Amino acid sequence: MNTPTTAAPGAPVVELDLDELRRDPYPAYAELRRTAPLAWVPSVGRHLLTRYDDIVHAEKLPEVFSSREEGSLLLRTVGPNMLREDDPDHRRLRSAAEPPTRPRQVRDRWADAFEKTAHDLLDRIAGRGEADLIADFAEPLVAANLALVLGLRGASAEDVSDWSRAMMAANGNYADDPGIWLRAERATRAIEDAVAEAVTAARSEPDGSVISSMVHADPPVELSEIQNNVKVIIGGGVNEPRDVFGVGAWALLNRPEVLDRVLAEPASWKRVFEETARWVSPIGMYPRQLTREYEIAGVTLPAGSRVALVIASGNRDESVFERAEEFDVDRPHRPHLAFGGGPHFCMGAWVARHEVSALAWPLVFSRLRGLRLAEGTPASDDGPAAGRLDGWVFRGLTSLNVTWQAA
Amino acid sequence: MPTVIFRSPDGTAHQVTAASGTVLMQAALAHGVPGIVAECGGNASCATCHVYIDPAQTGPVGPPNDVEDEMLDFTAAERRPTSRLSCQIRLSDTLDGLVVHLPEEQV
Repeated sequence: MNTPTTAAPGAPVVELDLDELRRDPYPAYAELRRTAPLAWVPSVGRHLLTRYDDIVHAEKLPEVFSSREEGSLLLRTVGPNMLREDDPDHRRLRSAAEPPTRPRQVRDRWADAFEKTAHDLLDRIAGRGEADLIADFAEPLVAANLALVLGLRGASAEDVSDWSRAMMAANGNYADDPGIWLRAERATRAIEDAVAEAVTAARSEPDGSVISSMVHADPPVELSEIQNNVKVIIGGGVNEPRDVFGVGAWALLNRPEVLDRVLAEPASWKRVFEETARWVSPIGMYPRQLTREYEIAGVTLPAGSRVALVIASGNRDESVFERAEEFDVDRPHRPHLAFGGGPHFCMGAWVARHEVSALAWPLVFSRLRGLRLAEGTPASDDGPAAGRLDGWVFRGLTSLNVTWQAA
Repeated sequence: MPTVIFRSPDGTAHQVTAASGTVLMQAALAHGVPGIVAECGGNASCATCHVYIDPAQTGPVGPPNDVEDEMLDFTAAERRPTSRLSCQIRLSDTLDGLVVHLPEEQV
Protein backbone atom coordinates (compact mmCIF):
# COMPACT_ATOMS: atom_id res chain seq x y z
CA MET A 1 0.00 0.00 0.00
CA ASN A 2 1.22 3.45 -0.88
CA THR A 3 1.16 5.59 2.26
CA PRO A 4 0.58 9.29 1.64
CA THR A 5 2.46 11.31 4.25
CA THR A 6 0.81 14.59 3.46
CA ALA A 7 -2.70 16.02 3.53
CA ALA A 8 -5.34 14.48 1.30
CA PRO A 9 -6.28 16.89 -1.50
CA GLY A 10 -8.94 19.20 -0.10
CA ALA A 11 -8.18 18.41 3.55
CA PRO A 12 -7.58 21.49 5.69
CA VAL A 13 -4.10 21.63 7.23
CA VAL A 14 -4.06 22.64 10.88
CA GLU A 15 -0.86 23.20 12.83
CA LEU A 16 -1.09 21.90 16.40
CA ASP A 17 1.67 22.06 18.97
CA LEU A 18 2.23 18.64 20.56
CA ASP A 19 3.23 20.09 23.93
CA GLU A 20 0.04 22.11 24.01
CA LEU A 21 -1.99 19.02 23.04
CA ARG A 22 -0.41 17.08 25.89
CA ARG A 23 -1.21 19.88 28.34
CA ASP A 24 -4.82 20.35 27.26
CA PRO A 25 -6.09 19.06 23.93
CA TYR A 26 -9.72 20.03 24.38
CA PRO A 27 -9.65 23.66 23.10
CA ALA A 28 -7.95 22.47 19.89
CA TYR A 29 -10.49 19.65 19.50
CA ALA A 30 -13.41 22.05 19.94
CA GLU A 31 -12.01 24.25 17.19
CA LEU A 32 -11.43 21.26 14.89
CA ARG A 33 -14.96 19.96 15.41
CA ARG A 34 -16.30 23.40 14.55
CA THR A 35 -14.13 24.29 11.56
CA ALA A 36 -12.26 21.24 10.28
CA PRO A 37 -13.71 17.91 11.49
CA LEU A 38 -11.21 16.13 9.28
CA ALA A 39 -7.89 17.96 9.31
CA TRP A 40 -4.32 17.05 8.41
CA VAL A 41 -2.11 17.84 11.40
CA PRO A 42 1.55 17.89 10.30
CA SER A 43 3.01 17.42 13.79
CA VAL A 44 0.99 14.21 14.18
CA GLY A 45 1.41 13.03 10.59
CA ARG A 46 -2.24 12.04 10.40
CA HIS A 47 -5.67 13.34 9.59
CA LEU A 48 -7.54 13.93 12.83
CA LEU A 49 -11.22 12.94 12.77
CA THR A 50 -12.90 14.73 15.64
CA ARG A 51 -16.72 14.59 15.46
CA TYR A 52 -18.68 11.90 17.32
CA ASP A 53 -20.78 10.74 14.36
CA ASP A 54 -17.83 10.50 11.98
CA ILE A 55 -15.79 8.51 14.50
CA VAL A 56 -18.66 6.08 15.10
CA HIS A 57 -19.08 5.73 11.34
CA ALA A 58 -15.39 4.94 10.87
CA GLU A 59 -15.32 2.47 13.76
CA LYS A 60 -18.13 0.48 12.21
CA LEU A 61 -16.28 0.22 8.85
CA PRO A 62 -13.15 -1.75 9.72
CA GLU A 63 -12.86 -2.97 6.13
CA VAL A 64 -12.17 0.65 5.09
CA PHE A 65 -10.58 2.07 8.25
CA SER A 66 -8.03 -0.67 8.76
CA SER A 67 -6.16 -1.32 11.99
CA ARG A 68 -3.12 -2.39 10.01
CA GLU A 69 -1.01 0.73 10.00
CA GLU A 70 2.29 0.89 8.14
CA GLY A 71 5.21 2.14 10.19
CA SER A 72 3.27 1.84 13.43
CA LEU A 73 5.36 2.46 16.54
CA LEU A 74 3.28 -0.15 18.32
CA LEU A 75 4.29 -2.76 15.73
CA ARG A 76 7.91 -1.79 16.16
CA THR A 77 7.63 -2.01 19.94
CA VAL A 78 5.79 -5.31 20.38
CA GLY A 79 5.66 -7.00 16.96
CA PRO A 80 2.49 -8.16 15.16
CA ASN A 81 -0.52 -8.09 17.48
CA MET A 82 -4.31 -8.12 17.43
CA LEU A 83 -4.65 -4.38 17.94
CA ARG A 84 -3.00 -3.79 14.57
CA GLU A 85 -4.77 -6.63 12.78
CA ASP A 86 -8.10 -6.81 11.01
CA ASP A 87 -10.46 -9.77 10.95
CA PRO A 88 -10.15 -12.70 10.48
CA ASP A 89 -6.72 -12.72 12.19
CA HIS A 90 -7.84 -10.19 14.75
CA ARG A 91 -10.92 -12.25 15.53
CA ARG A 92 -8.93 -15.49 15.88
CA LEU A 93 -6.59 -13.93 18.45
CA ARG A 94 -9.30 -11.98 20.23
CA SER A 95 -11.52 -15.05 20.57
CA ALA A 96 -8.61 -16.99 22.03
CA ALA A 97 -7.73 -14.29 24.57
CA GLU A 98 -11.13 -12.92 25.49
CA PRO A 99 -13.03 -15.49 27.63
CA PRO A 100 -11.29 -14.64 30.95
CA THR A 101 -12.20 -10.96 30.53
CA ARG A 102 -15.92 -11.49 30.01
CA PRO A 103 -18.12 -10.08 32.75
CA ARG A 104 -19.23 -13.34 34.37
CA GLN A 105 -15.61 -14.53 34.58
CA VAL A 106 -14.63 -11.20 36.11
CA ARG A 107 -17.33 -11.57 38.75
CA ASP A 108 -16.90 -15.27 39.48
CA ARG A 109 -13.20 -15.88 38.95
CA TRP A 110 -11.32 -12.65 39.64
CA ALA A 111 -13.41 -10.34 41.83
CA ASP A 112 -12.40 -11.82 45.22
CA ALA A 113 -8.71 -11.59 44.45
CA PHE A 114 -9.12 -8.03 43.14
CA GLU A 115 -10.85 -7.09 46.38
CA LYS A 116 -8.18 -8.68 48.55
CA THR A 117 -5.45 -6.81 46.69
CA ALA A 118 -7.31 -3.52 47.12
CA HIS A 119 -7.67 -4.14 50.87
CA ASP A 120 -3.98 -5.10 51.19
CA LEU A 121 -2.93 -1.86 49.50
CA LEU A 122 -5.26 0.18 51.68
CA ASP A 123 -3.99 -1.63 54.82
CA ARG A 124 -0.53 -0.46 53.86
CA ILE A 125 -1.44 3.23 53.65
CA ALA A 126 -4.44 3.57 55.99
CA GLY A 127 -2.36 4.54 59.04
CA ARG A 128 -0.40 7.20 57.18
CA GLY A 129 -3.18 9.70 56.66
CA GLU A 130 -1.79 10.78 53.33
CA ALA A 131 -0.89 9.21 50.01
CA ASP A 132 -0.66 9.66 46.29
CA LEU A 133 -3.64 7.57 45.23
CA ILE A 134 -2.14 7.00 41.79
CA ALA A 135 1.30 5.71 42.79
CA ASP A 136 0.35 4.17 46.15
CA PHE A 137 -2.94 2.57 45.23
CA ALA A 138 -4.35 2.65 41.69
CA GLU A 139 -1.24 1.72 39.77
CA PRO A 140 -0.19 -1.26 41.94
CA LEU A 141 -3.81 -2.43 42.13
CA VAL A 142 -4.45 -2.54 38.41
CA ALA A 143 -0.98 -3.94 37.69
CA ALA A 144 -1.49 -6.80 40.18
CA ASN A 145 -4.96 -7.49 38.78
CA LEU A 146 -3.57 -7.52 35.26
CA ALA A 147 -0.81 -9.99 36.17
CA LEU A 148 -3.47 -12.26 37.67
CA VAL A 149 -5.90 -12.12 34.74
CA LEU A 150 -3.10 -12.59 32.23
CA GLY A 151 -1.72 -15.56 34.17
CA LEU A 152 1.78 -14.14 34.72
CA ARG A 153 2.28 -16.05 37.91
CA GLY A 154 5.90 -15.03 38.51
CA ALA A 155 5.48 -11.33 37.75
CA SER A 156 4.99 -8.71 40.46
CA ALA A 157 2.79 -5.65 40.17
CA GLU A 158 5.98 -3.61 39.97
CA ASP A 159 7.25 -5.69 37.04
CA VAL A 160 4.00 -5.16 35.17
CA SER A 161 4.04 -1.41 35.88
CA ASP A 162 7.63 -1.04 34.72
CA TRP A 163 7.01 -3.03 31.56
CA SER A 164 3.92 -1.02 30.79
CA ARG A 165 5.70 2.30 31.22
CA ALA A 166 8.62 1.21 29.04
CA MET A 167 6.33 0.13 26.20
CA MET A 168 4.07 3.16 26.46
CA ALA A 169 7.12 5.40 26.13
CA ALA A 170 8.18 3.51 23.01
CA ASN A 171 4.71 3.74 21.49
CA GLY A 172 4.98 7.50 21.69
CA ASN A 173 8.66 7.67 20.73
CA TYR A 174 8.17 9.93 17.73
CA ALA A 175 11.52 11.57 18.55
CA ASP A 176 13.28 8.19 18.03
CA ASP A 177 15.15 8.39 21.36
CA PRO A 178 17.50 5.36 21.44
CA GLY A 179 17.31 5.14 25.24
CA ILE A 180 13.55 4.68 25.05
CA TRP A 181 13.91 1.92 22.47
CA LEU A 182 16.49 0.15 24.59
CA ARG A 183 14.29 0.25 27.68
CA ALA A 184 11.34 -1.09 25.68
CA GLU A 185 13.46 -3.91 24.25
CA ARG A 186 14.50 -4.96 27.75
CA ALA A 187 10.87 -4.89 28.87
CA THR A 188 9.58 -6.88 25.91
CA ARG A 189 12.30 -9.50 26.36
CA ALA A 190 11.38 -9.84 30.01
CA ILE A 191 7.72 -10.25 29.06
CA GLU A 192 8.61 -12.89 26.48
CA ASP A 193 10.44 -14.89 29.15
CA ALA A 194 7.60 -14.52 31.65
CA VAL A 195 5.01 -15.57 29.06
CA ALA A 196 7.06 -18.57 27.94
CA GLU A 197 7.18 -19.74 31.55
CA ALA A 198 3.45 -19.17 32.04
CA VAL A 199 2.65 -21.01 28.81
CA THR A 200 4.58 -24.08 29.97
CA ALA A 201 2.71 -24.06 33.27
CA ALA A 202 -0.69 -23.50 31.64
CA ARG A 203 -0.19 -26.43 29.26
CA SER A 204 -0.21 -28.88 32.13
CA GLU A 205 -2.34 -26.87 34.50
CA PRO A 206 -4.98 -24.62 32.87
CA ASP A 207 -5.85 -21.74 35.22
CA GLY A 208 -8.54 -19.76 33.41
CA SER A 209 -6.18 -16.89 32.66
CA VAL A 210 -5.74 -15.11 29.33
CA ILE A 211 -2.49 -16.94 28.63
CA SER A 212 -4.07 -20.26 29.55
CA SER A 213 -7.04 -19.50 27.34
CA MET A 214 -4.74 -18.74 24.40
CA VAL A 215 -2.68 -21.88 25.04
CA HIS A 216 -5.78 -24.07 24.87
CA ALA A 217 -7.51 -22.18 22.04
CA ASP A 218 -8.82 -23.88 18.95
CA PRO A 219 -7.31 -23.14 16.44
CA PRO A 220 -4.03 -23.04 18.36
CA VAL A 221 -2.14 -19.81 18.95
CA GLU A 222 1.64 -19.70 18.50
CA LEU A 223 3.89 -18.82 21.43
CA SER A 224 5.12 -15.66 19.67
CA GLU A 225 1.52 -14.57 19.13
CA ILE A 226 0.74 -15.06 22.81
CA GLN A 227 3.87 -13.11 23.75
CA ASN A 228 3.10 -10.16 21.49
CA ASN A 229 -0.52 -9.93 22.52
CA VAL A 230 0.36 -10.08 26.20
CA LYS A 231 2.76 -7.18 25.54
CA VAL A 232 -0.07 -5.15 24.02
CA ILE A 233 -2.41 -5.93 26.89
CA ILE A 234 0.24 -4.91 29.44
CA GLY A 235 0.95 -1.75 27.46
CA GLY A 236 -2.61 -0.51 27.70
CA GLY A 237 -4.00 -2.46 30.61
CA VAL A 238 -2.33 -0.48 33.38
CA ASN A 239 -2.85 3.15 32.49
CA GLU A 240 -6.46 2.98 31.37
CA PRO A 241 -8.12 1.69 34.56
CA ARG A 242 -5.59 3.65 36.64
CA ASP A 243 -6.48 6.87 34.86
CA VAL A 244 -10.24 6.40 35.10
CA PHE A 245 -9.81 5.72 38.81
CA GLY A 246 -7.70 8.84 39.31
CA VAL A 247 -9.76 11.26 37.27
CA GLY A 248 -13.06 10.03 38.74
CA ALA A 249 -11.81 10.18 42.35
CA TRP A 250 -10.45 13.67 41.75
CA ALA A 251 -13.68 14.86 40.15
CA LEU A 252 -15.69 13.61 43.14
CA LEU A 253 -13.31 15.06 45.73
CA ASN A 254 -13.92 18.39 44.03
CA ARG A 255 -17.68 17.92 44.22
CA PRO A 256 -18.55 16.91 47.79
CA GLU A 257 -22.28 17.14 47.15
CA VAL A 258 -22.03 14.71 44.23
CA LEU A 259 -19.79 12.44 46.27
CA ASP A 260 -22.32 12.37 49.12
CA ARG A 261 -25.08 11.35 46.72
CA VAL A 262 -22.92 8.63 45.17
CA LEU A 263 -21.97 7.26 48.60
CA ALA A 264 -25.65 7.13 49.53
CA GLU A 265 -26.52 5.29 46.35
CA PRO A 266 -23.79 2.77 45.50
CA ALA A 267 -25.46 1.77 42.23
CA SER A 268 -24.41 5.14 40.85
CA TRP A 269 -20.70 4.23 40.83
CA LYS A 270 -21.42 2.75 37.42
CA ARG A 271 -22.56 6.15 36.16
CA VAL A 272 -19.49 7.77 37.67
CA PHE A 273 -17.34 5.33 35.73
CA GLU A 274 -19.01 5.93 32.38
CA GLU A 275 -19.08 9.71 32.85
CA THR A 276 -15.42 9.80 33.89
CA ALA A 277 -14.40 7.77 30.84
CA ARG A 278 -16.38 10.16 28.64
CA TRP A 279 -15.13 13.35 30.31
CA VAL A 280 -11.39 12.53 30.22
CA SER A 281 -10.98 9.45 28.05
CA PRO A 282 -7.90 7.47 29.13
CA ILE A 283 -7.24 6.67 25.47
CA GLY A 284 -7.56 9.85 23.48
CA MET A 285 -7.06 8.59 19.98
CA TYR A 286 -6.07 5.60 17.92
CA PRO A 287 -4.83 5.28 14.37
CA ARG A 288 -6.45 3.80 11.31
CA GLN A 289 -5.29 3.54 7.69
CA LEU A 290 -7.59 3.56 4.68
CA THR A 291 -7.75 0.46 2.52
CA ARG A 292 -9.40 2.40 -0.30
CA GLU A 293 -10.55 5.85 -1.28
CA TYR A 294 -13.31 7.03 1.01
CA GLU A 295 -15.16 10.26 1.68
CA ILE A 296 -15.69 11.31 5.26
CA ALA A 297 -16.38 14.69 6.91
CA GLY A 298 -16.52 16.29 3.48
CA VAL A 299 -13.06 15.15 2.36
CA THR A 300 -12.21 12.34 -0.04
CA LEU A 301 -9.27 10.47 1.44
CA PRO A 302 -7.07 8.43 -0.90
CA ALA A 303 -6.28 4.78 -0.15
CA GLY A 304 -3.46 4.52 2.38
CA SER A 305 -4.37 7.77 4.17
CA ARG A 306 -3.60 7.83 7.86
CA VAL A 307 -6.42 8.86 10.13
CA ALA A 308 -6.55 9.30 13.89
CA LEU A 309 -9.94 8.61 15.44
CA VAL A 310 -9.92 11.18 18.24
CA ILE A 311 -12.36 9.60 20.66
CA ALA A 312 -11.48 12.14 23.37
CA SER A 313 -12.91 14.78 21.03
CA GLY A 314 -15.97 12.74 20.09
CA ASN A 315 -16.70 12.40 23.79
CA ARG A 316 -16.81 16.21 24.09
CA ASP A 317 -18.95 16.74 20.97
CA GLU A 318 -21.62 19.31 21.92
CA SER A 319 -24.03 17.94 19.34
CA VAL A 320 -24.22 14.72 21.38
CA PHE A 321 -23.39 15.77 24.95
CA GLU A 322 -24.84 19.02 26.29
CA ARG A 323 -22.29 21.03 28.31
CA ALA A 324 -19.83 18.38 27.19
CA GLU A 325 -16.91 19.94 29.04
CA GLU A 326 -18.65 19.44 32.39
CA PHE A 327 -18.39 16.37 34.59
CA ASP A 328 -22.03 15.50 35.23
CA VAL A 329 -23.01 12.09 36.55
CA ASP A 330 -26.67 12.95 35.98
CA ARG A 331 -26.43 13.70 32.28
CA PRO A 332 -28.90 11.91 30.00
CA HIS A 333 -27.19 8.75 29.00
CA ARG A 334 -25.63 8.67 25.55
CA PRO A 335 -23.03 6.04 24.73
CA HIS A 336 -19.47 7.37 24.97
CA LEU A 337 -16.59 6.29 22.77
CA ALA A 338 -13.96 5.68 25.44
CA PHE A 339 -13.85 1.91 24.91
CA GLY A 340 -13.62 2.29 21.15
CA GLY A 341 -16.09 0.54 18.91
CA GLY A 342 -16.46 -2.20 16.38
CA PRO A 343 -14.39 -5.38 16.53
CA HIS A 344 -11.67 -3.70 18.63
CA PHE A 345 -14.10 -2.71 21.41
CA CYS A 346 -11.94 -2.70 24.55
CA MET A 347 -11.30 -6.25 25.72
CA GLY A 348 -10.59 -5.02 29.24
CA ALA A 349 -13.84 -3.04 29.56
CA TRP A 350 -15.51 -5.44 31.99
CA VAL A 351 -12.36 -5.91 34.06
CA ALA A 352 -11.92 -2.14 34.35
CA ARG A 353 -15.55 -1.50 35.20
CA HIS A 354 -15.43 -4.02 38.00
CA GLU A 355 -12.05 -3.19 39.50
CA VAL A 356 -12.66 0.56 39.45
CA SER A 357 -16.37 1.15 39.94
CA ALA A 358 -17.38 -1.91 41.96
CA LEU A 359 -14.23 -2.17 44.10
CA ALA A 360 -11.58 0.53 44.05
CA TRP A 361 -13.68 3.67 44.42
CA PRO A 362 -16.15 2.28 46.99
CA LEU A 363 -13.32 0.81 49.11
CA VAL A 364 -11.18 3.92 49.03
CA PHE A 365 -14.05 6.22 49.96
CA SER A 366 -15.36 3.92 52.67
CA ARG A 367 -12.05 3.03 54.31
CA LEU A 368 -10.21 6.37 54.18
CA ARG A 369 -12.41 8.49 56.45
CA GLY A 370 -12.52 12.19 55.72
CA LEU A 371 -10.71 11.76 52.43
CA ARG A 372 -9.88 15.06 50.76
CA LEU A 373 -7.44 16.58 48.34
CA ALA A 374 -4.09 17.49 49.86
CA GLU A 375 -3.35 21.17 50.06
CA GLY A 376 -2.00 22.48 46.79
CA THR A 377 -3.70 19.82 44.67
CA PRO A 378 -5.44 21.69 41.88
CA ALA A 379 -9.18 21.45 41.55
CA SER A 380 -10.49 19.52 38.56
CA ASP A 381 -12.08 22.67 37.25
CA ASP A 382 -8.78 24.58 37.14
CA GLY A 383 -8.37 24.40 33.39
CA PRO A 384 -5.81 21.73 32.64
CA ALA A 385 -5.30 21.43 36.40
CA ALA A 386 -1.86 22.89 36.73
CA GLY A 387 0.01 20.08 35.09
CA ARG A 388 -1.56 17.17 36.94
CA LEU A 389 -3.47 16.06 33.86
CA ASP A 390 -1.19 15.04 31.07
CA GLY A 391 -1.34 13.54 27.63
CA TRP A 392 -3.50 13.46 24.53
CA VAL A 393 -2.92 10.00 23.03
CA PHE A 394 -3.33 8.76 26.59
CA ARG A 395 -4.52 11.12 29.29
CA GLY A 396 -4.69 10.89 33.04
CA LEU A 397 -3.55 12.38 36.34
CA THR A 398 0.16 12.07 37.04
CA SER A 399 -0.55 12.13 40.79
CA LEU A 400 -3.46 12.50 43.18
CA ASN A 401 -2.29 13.59 46.62
CA VAL A 402 -4.89 13.17 49.33
CA THR A 403 -5.16 13.23 53.10
CA TRP A 404 -7.57 11.58 55.54
CA GLN A 405 -8.02 10.92 59.24
CA ALA A 406 -5.54 8.17 59.97
CA ALA A 407 -6.92 5.42 62.17
CA MET B 1 -37.18 -10.39 2.50
CA PRO B 2 -38.38 -10.71 6.12
CA THR B 3 -39.91 -7.67 7.78
CA VAL B 4 -39.22 -6.86 11.43
CA ILE B 5 -40.92 -4.35 13.71
CA PHE B 6 -38.79 -2.67 16.37
CA ARG B 7 -40.98 -1.19 19.07
CA SER B 8 -39.51 1.62 21.22
CA PRO B 9 -40.39 1.90 24.92
CA ASP B 10 -42.71 4.84 24.06
CA GLY B 11 -44.63 2.59 21.66
CA THR B 12 -43.20 3.95 18.40
CA ALA B 13 -42.88 1.23 15.76
CA HIS B 14 -40.02 1.08 13.26
CA GLN B 15 -40.66 -1.32 10.40
CA VAL B 16 -37.56 -2.70 8.70
CA THR B 17 -37.30 -5.04 5.74
CA ALA B 18 -33.96 -6.77 5.19
CA ALA B 19 -32.60 -9.65 3.12
CA SER B 20 -32.62 -13.13 4.62
CA GLY B 21 -29.26 -13.72 6.25
CA THR B 22 -28.98 -10.17 7.57
CA VAL B 23 -28.13 -9.91 11.25
CA LEU B 24 -30.96 -8.26 13.19
CA MET B 25 -28.62 -5.68 14.79
CA GLN B 26 -27.25 -4.70 11.37
CA ALA B 27 -30.75 -4.33 9.96
CA ALA B 28 -31.56 -1.95 12.84
CA LEU B 29 -28.40 0.11 12.34
CA ALA B 30 -28.83 0.26 8.56
CA HIS B 31 -32.30 1.71 9.01
CA GLY B 32 -31.39 4.08 11.83
CA VAL B 33 -33.56 2.40 14.43
CA PRO B 34 -32.97 4.39 17.64
CA GLY B 35 -32.03 2.45 20.75
CA ILE B 36 -29.62 -0.06 19.23
CA VAL B 37 -26.08 1.06 20.09
CA ALA B 38 -23.99 -2.00 19.19
CA GLU B 39 -20.69 -0.59 20.43
CA CYS B 40 -18.72 -3.69 19.52
CA GLY B 41 -20.16 -3.97 16.06
CA GLY B 42 -21.70 -7.39 16.53
CA ASN B 43 -19.16 -9.45 18.42
CA ALA B 44 -21.12 -10.12 21.59
CA SER B 45 -18.58 -8.14 23.64
CA CYS B 46 -20.54 -5.08 24.77
CA ALA B 47 -24.21 -6.00 25.46
CA THR B 48 -25.50 -2.77 23.88
CA CYS B 49 -27.77 -4.24 21.20
CA HIS B 50 -30.11 -5.85 23.72
CA VAL B 51 -33.72 -6.50 22.62
CA TYR B 52 -36.78 -8.30 24.00
CA ILE B 53 -38.31 -10.75 21.57
CA ASP B 54 -42.09 -10.67 21.51
CA PRO B 55 -43.13 -13.50 23.87
CA ALA B 56 -45.22 -15.17 21.15
CA GLN B 57 -42.16 -15.50 18.88
CA THR B 58 -39.35 -16.74 21.10
CA GLY B 59 -39.77 -20.26 19.71
CA PRO B 60 -38.78 -19.53 16.11
CA VAL B 61 -35.96 -17.19 17.22
CA GLY B 62 -34.41 -19.78 19.50
CA PRO B 63 -32.34 -19.45 22.70
CA PRO B 64 -29.15 -17.42 23.21
CA ASN B 65 -25.76 -19.09 22.73
CA ASP B 66 -23.35 -19.45 25.68
CA VAL B 67 -21.40 -16.22 25.21
CA GLU B 68 -24.58 -14.27 24.58
CA ASP B 69 -26.19 -15.79 27.67
CA GLU B 70 -23.29 -14.49 29.74
CA MET B 71 -23.48 -10.99 28.25
CA LEU B 72 -27.22 -10.85 28.84
CA ASP B 73 -26.54 -10.95 32.59
CA PHE B 74 -24.84 -7.57 32.25
CA THR B 75 -27.22 -5.52 30.10
CA ALA B 76 -28.08 -2.00 31.26
CA ALA B 77 -31.82 -2.71 31.21
CA GLU B 78 -33.16 -5.71 33.13
CA ARG B 79 -32.74 -9.16 31.64
CA ARG B 80 -36.01 -10.96 30.94
CA PRO B 81 -36.71 -14.49 29.70
CA THR B 82 -37.21 -13.01 26.21
CA SER B 83 -33.91 -11.07 26.22
CA ARG B 84 -31.52 -11.53 23.29
CA LEU B 85 -28.58 -9.69 21.77
CA SER B 86 -29.74 -8.60 18.33
CA CYS B 87 -26.22 -9.15 16.94
CA GLN B 88 -26.68 -12.89 17.45
CA ILE B 89 -29.94 -13.24 15.52
CA ARG B 90 -29.84 -13.91 11.79
CA LEU B 91 -33.01 -13.09 9.89
CA SER B 92 -34.71 -15.69 7.73
CA ASP B 93 -38.08 -16.02 6.04
CA THR B 94 -39.37 -17.93 9.06
CA LEU B 95 -38.79 -14.77 11.13
CA ASP B 96 -40.92 -12.62 8.81
CA GLY B 97 -43.20 -10.48 10.97
CA LEU B 98 -40.91 -10.62 14.01
CA VAL B 99 -41.65 -8.01 16.67
CA VAL B 100 -38.84 -6.96 19.00
CA HIS B 101 -39.12 -4.51 21.88
CA LEU B 102 -36.30 -2.09 22.63
CA PRO B 103 -35.15 -1.63 26.23
CA GLU B 104 -35.10 1.73 28.02
CA GLU B 105 -31.31 1.92 27.99
CA GLN B 106 -28.37 0.10 26.45
CA VAL B 107 -25.40 1.45 28.41
